[in-house]
Amino acid sequence: MVEPIYIVASGLGIAFLLGLTKKAGRDVPGTLMLLTLTLMTFISFQWLWSIGFADYAPHYTYTAGFRPPFSINLKMGEMEAFFTAIVNLIGLLGGLYLWERLKKQGVNSMIVYMLLFVGLNVMIMTRDLFNLFVFLEVSSIAIAGLVLLQRDNKALSAGFKYLIAASIISGLLLVGLIFIYQYAGSLYIDDIIDANLTAVKGGMVAVFLILIAVALELKPFPANGWALDLYEGAHPGLAALVSAAFASAMVFVLHKLLPVAGGAWQNMFATLGGLTFIGSNLLGIKQSNARRLLGYSSVGQIGLLVMVVGLSQYLGEKLTLIAYGILISHYLAKAGLFWLTGIINQDNIRNWSILRRKPFMLAIFGIFVFALIGFPPFPSFFAKWELIMQLSAGSGFVWVIVILLGSFLEGVYLFRWLGYALKLEHQELPAYKIPWNKILPVAIAGIGLFILGYFATPIATGAGNLNFLPLAAVVVIFFLDFLPARIKNILAIATLAYYGYMIMPGLYESEGLRFIFSIIFIIGGILTLLAGFAYKGKRKGFYPAVLLMYVGLGQLLTADTMLQFFFAWELMTIGSYILIIRGKYSITHGYSYMLFSVGGAYLMLAGFGLAYAGSGIPGLDALANISSLATWASILIAIGFMTKTATLGVHIWLPGAHAEAESDVSPMVSAILLKAGVFGLVLLFIGMGAESAADHPLIYILGWLGALTALIGNLSAVFQEDAKRLLAYSSIGQLGYILFAFAIMTHVGWLAGFTYTINHFMYKAVLFLIIGGIVLRLNTHYMYEMGGLIKRMPYSFIAVLIGIVALAGMPPLSGFAGKWLFYNAGIERGWYFQGGVVFFSGIIAFLYLYRLIHSVFLGQLKDRHRMVKEISPWFLIPAYTLIMGIMVFSANPEWVLKPFGKVTAQYFPGSPLIWEGDGTAIGQLGYWNGTQVMVIVMGLFVLITLWLIMLNRNAKKVKQFNIVYAAERPERPETTHMSYNLFAGYNRALGFMVAPGITGIWNWISDSIQELADQIRRIYNGNGQTYIIHVLTYVVIVYLITTGGF
Amino acid sequence: MDLLTRVLFTLLGLFIILNWGLLMSALMRKLTAKVARRIGIRWYQPWINLVKLYSNRNSIEHGVMFQLGPVFRLLGGVGLVMFMPLIYGSELFSNFSFAGDLVVILYIKFFGMLGMALGAGEGGHPYSAMGVSRGLSQVTTVELPFTLAVIALAVQYNTLSLHEIVAAQQGGITNWTLFTNPVATLAALLSMLGIFMHSPFDLVRAPNEIPIGPPTEYHSSYLGILRTNAPILHVIEAVLYMNLFFGGATSWPMLIVKTFLIYFVSIFVGVVFPRFKIEQSVTWFLRVPLILGIVAIILIL
Repeated sequence: MVEPIYIVASGLGIAFLLGLTKKAGRDVPGTLMLLTLTLMTFISFQWLWSIGFADYAPHYTYTAGFRPPFSINLKMGEMEAFFTAIVNLIGLLGGLYLWERLKKQGVNSMIVYMLLFVGLNVMIMTRDLFNLFVFLEVSSIAIAGLVLLQRDNKALSAGFKYLIAASIISGLLLVGLIFIYQYAGSLYIDDIIDANLTAVKGGMVAVFLILIAVALELKPFPANGWALDLYEGAHPGLAALVSAAFASAMVFVLHKLLPVAGGAWQNMFATLGGLTFIGSNLLGIKQSNARRLLGYSSVGQIGLLVMVVGLSQYLGEKLTLIAYGILISHYLAKAGLFWLTGIINQDNIRNWSILRRKPFMLAIFGIFVFALIGFPPFPSFFAKWELIMQLSAGSGFVWVIVILLGSFLEGVYLFRWLGYALKLEHQELPAYKIPWNKILPVAIAGIGLFILGYFATPIATGAGNLNFLPLAAVVVIFFLDFLPARIKNILAIATLAYYGYMIMPGLYESEGLRFIFSIIFIIGGILTLLAGFAYKGKRKGFYPAVLLMYVGLGQLLTADTMLQFFFAWELMTIGSYILIIRGKYSITHGYSYMLFSVGGAYLMLAGFGLAYAGSGIPGLDALANISSLATWASILIAIGFMTKTATLGVHIWLPGAHAEAESDVSPMVSAILLKAGVFGLVLLFIGMGAESAADHPLIYILGWLGALTALIGNLSAVFQEDAKRLLAYSSIGQLGYILFAFAIMTHVGWLAGFTYTINHFMYKAVLFLIIGGIVLRLNTHYMYEMGGLIKRMPYSFIAVLIGIVALAGMPPLSGFAGKWLFYNAGIERGWYFQGGVVFFSGIIAFLYLYRLIHSVFLGQLKDRHRMVKEISPWFLIPAYTLIMGIMVFSANPEWVLKPFGKVTAQYFPGSPLIWEGDGTAIGQLGYWNGTQVMVIVMGLFVLITLWLIMLNRNAKKVKQFNIVYAAERPERPETTHMSYNLFAGYNRALGFMVAPGITGIWNWISDSIQELADQIRRIYNGNGQTYIIHVLTYVVIVYLITTGGF
Repeated sequence: MDLLTRVLFTLLGLFIILNWGLLMSALMRKLTAKVARRIGIRWYQPWINLVKLYSNRNSIEHGVMFQLGPVFRLLGGVGLVMFMPLIYGSELFSNFSFAGDLVVILYIKFFGMLGMALGAGEGGHPYSAMGVSRGLSQVTTVELPFTLAVIALAVQYNTLSLHEIVAAQQGGITNWTLFTNPVATLAALLSMLGIFMHSPFDLVRAPNEIPIGPPTEYHSSYLGILRTNAPILHVIEAVLYMNLFFGGATSWPMLIVKTFLIYFVSIFVGVVFPRFKIEQSVTWFLRVPLILGIVAIILIL
């Protein structure tokens, strides 16, 4: 084992020696520098391994042989090993990255670079306060030096402001230090802690000065203008170092020094951290300069870490793991992002679309963004989960709100950035090179995030046996992205089929409920993937995303703890976001979808936290055992699920997202993905007690919400001109029915809910597949540009006809089963008004269904479509498979309803449907025999048709145009096909009900937040003197609050 | 009873309804004419119409959906007859009502309507589509008070089975829903005006306004099927009202009398009022009829 002192010694030594090598050119000193950094990294990692895994004791180095306080004491414990390891690693990677620049700037810059890392290492290891001060100075000056050596205006002014700020901070630290020595008599940190200085008034001031200096070095909001200018002005490689290395070291220093205050000011620091987290992320919303944006993000993340350090009373033994998780993610992602900025050299975030030229770079960028926000499988996900769980268990609800709000705001600007990178044009931007020494650190950071994510799972409560194998399959597909789309499609279908084969039998045995959903997710997944064969080319980026979504959906079903559920939920969200944003005009819709998803997920996380706190169980059965604040938990979780099912109020993302998505993505997201939210709501309702929760006020509200969603969704669909938007609004409406049915909380009600769920899956997939195929063929979404297609696309017509008859709920098709059940359920429950509203929505559905089929298939064929072919068979095959499913269900409803009944009876044993031998279903109020109705109707249909044919044997077929009206013969199909504004009268009568009120409310909220951000960020006026005033005012105010002056 | 007997009696019932429907339509037109001081058509005119239409030798068609339109329409009408118990107490004339209850009946009605809409659209005429869009718009709000009334009834009698609803109304005129639940009956009757699509709610076909649409596009046996369906549909809808609100019928003469009187109500209103526009008719049902429906529900809460 190498003595830790050699980290310092080698660094300092080489720094001096480098001065002697100036004559040897630039490469020799550079290599020496890197070799030394490698040595320092090696030593740190050796200690980390030994202490962390081989159970060594912490090592103390006493310089000059004396014990403290007569000598300086360096400690290498577990935390010191960790921090020095990461700092040195960044030093090494950063040195590699900055190789060219350091060489250009000369040996002096290399010396300063080494000094920076020596300083940071000592800061971490030392247990002597003055030593800490000295090396803090060394580090700060080194940073300033590196920045100033850059010699452009921005860098010079940034470096200068930094120097001023650092001087003030050091001054405060020094004054505090002097008085601490006066009161404690020693500069050894352990002695100072024992001296309990906060008991004495003067001592308290001294301690305060020390701690506030450390806090200021951590760039708190709003006293951090100088920091942001530094991030913006410095070279990205340096900014990476400041953000990753310097900030990490300072966080540890804070953790080291906080005990001096004796635990009294924990909350104060947590508050400062929280304020920074929210404030910085809020201001980041209006930022379009990449480096400054990353600066806001860095400051925010460090604020989060400060908050974590300050909240150690809640976190107990999990403190270090949580902090490590967040820190590592921040450190790798932030460094990586700054390094990427340096590579592509684009300052405006809109120009980051240039990343699309190299898919690998785009993927890494995506990894960093998701890691920062805290998505799985990265360490920050597990750390944040555990943080929320522990805070909730300790009733620290305010902190939970602060953390989630700040994270959401961070998501707002990060996803906007990601959207720009994914969608904007980049043809006119200049080319960029990717030198190996710059991309290697970035790649290491990206891959490191994955690997560490895997190892970070034990941090979180309830990780259990989280299965990463499906995720591995996604990664494999990502690396096979160079293959043609058809081969990848076969692979994807095979993977999904295998996954289904692995999980479905188990679900069938144990839990009929999950088996029902697995049919929708897995079988539906395979069918919708079939449509992908219609696409030629490579479809880069599609297959990893689609597999990720389906894997997430599958894991949702196999989850037994809340963490596993949330893990799967977020994976599914990532996959679906990428799929949705692939649509040509989907940049805003994908963004809107992601924001609502993330917001909903955070509410769900808060709800899960409450559930864990109230029950002490990490498993999903926690939902059934919440002893306190159960209603709040239920409300939060319910809203979280409702953002996925697009219930009224959080539905505004759906029409755009589903309508603009690609033709085979729309059936996936509309027919299948929405059911994940339904599954969640079902679990929640079971957790709330199923039958016993029927009179809960929340359930009553959800029932009304479901009914109103059905009404507004269906009514909005009536007035759409875009076929896919019509179907998307229809989905909103149908999901409203489903929510209503489940909220009825009786056996028949849940039977209706399950029936609607599976029916909606089938007919919406059929409709979206066919319409998607038509959109692909005709290259238009607008129904008034279609028309008369029954002549050219008869199979599509039949499929859509069956789809709309099923959706409308007309006997004999399966949709009627749902309607019959819902009638019985609603009346049985006593929800007559809601039932009336839902019925009204059902009739309104006829309008848009007719509009869809008439505008597209009937009427007059446009001239340019006279030779158009039937849609791709790859869309017809899954559609007709589903139609067969619909027909089987319709002809024999008991084949489906009886098993559903068994599943439902587990939760609602009372008043089931009784089945007579001949297939009649008898409910409390009425009776129905689906098979007989089907037989009668089909029989009549055949008879009447035969009779008609017999009567019209000699009917002569004429062209569609062979009509006369207004005493003229029409010439152009455009004037003869009635489609645009088909329900003009209805619009005049009832159109006011679908005026975009809720969209207006969300727009107002979004605009207000942006306005707030815009106003507040004006405090950063670029003037260094103003920043110093900020710093000093901050010190005074925090002092007065801390010591009770206010 | 075995299947063959049931089918034969169903056909018999259908035949009676068809003929009574034709006669009733002739009588109604005669009555309307008298109000307008005309003589009106001959009482046997509807039969002659049918004979003429079916014996036309030429016909043209615009494709499969066009031909299926009347098929669906007739399917809707005959389907309703299939599932409706006609004569209370008579097993012979209860058709296939064991296969489905009131909900089935309510939804089969829409089947015919939608099928007709599709057929009309396929005719290629823009005016047909216009008519269909108006018809569908109207149907949405027309059905709303009716549904609320039906829900009120279902709760009142605790069943959705037509048999039982009729059974509960036997034993004297005071047992009719008309007297035991007048609010619901009134709401339903106001809806009925929209369902029968007489003035003021006849903008759908706008008989004297747009001479285009299904009546013109369809011809010979297509129109014959439509003209066969219309009387069946009118009678059977009246039978539905009779069963729900007016005590059902224990014999054919009673059925004939009651359906005549029920249908007469809509004609009676129709001769006095001019036509509504679509936005007027849609919102009309959301005023008084809807309030009555809501009151009917409140009364059973």
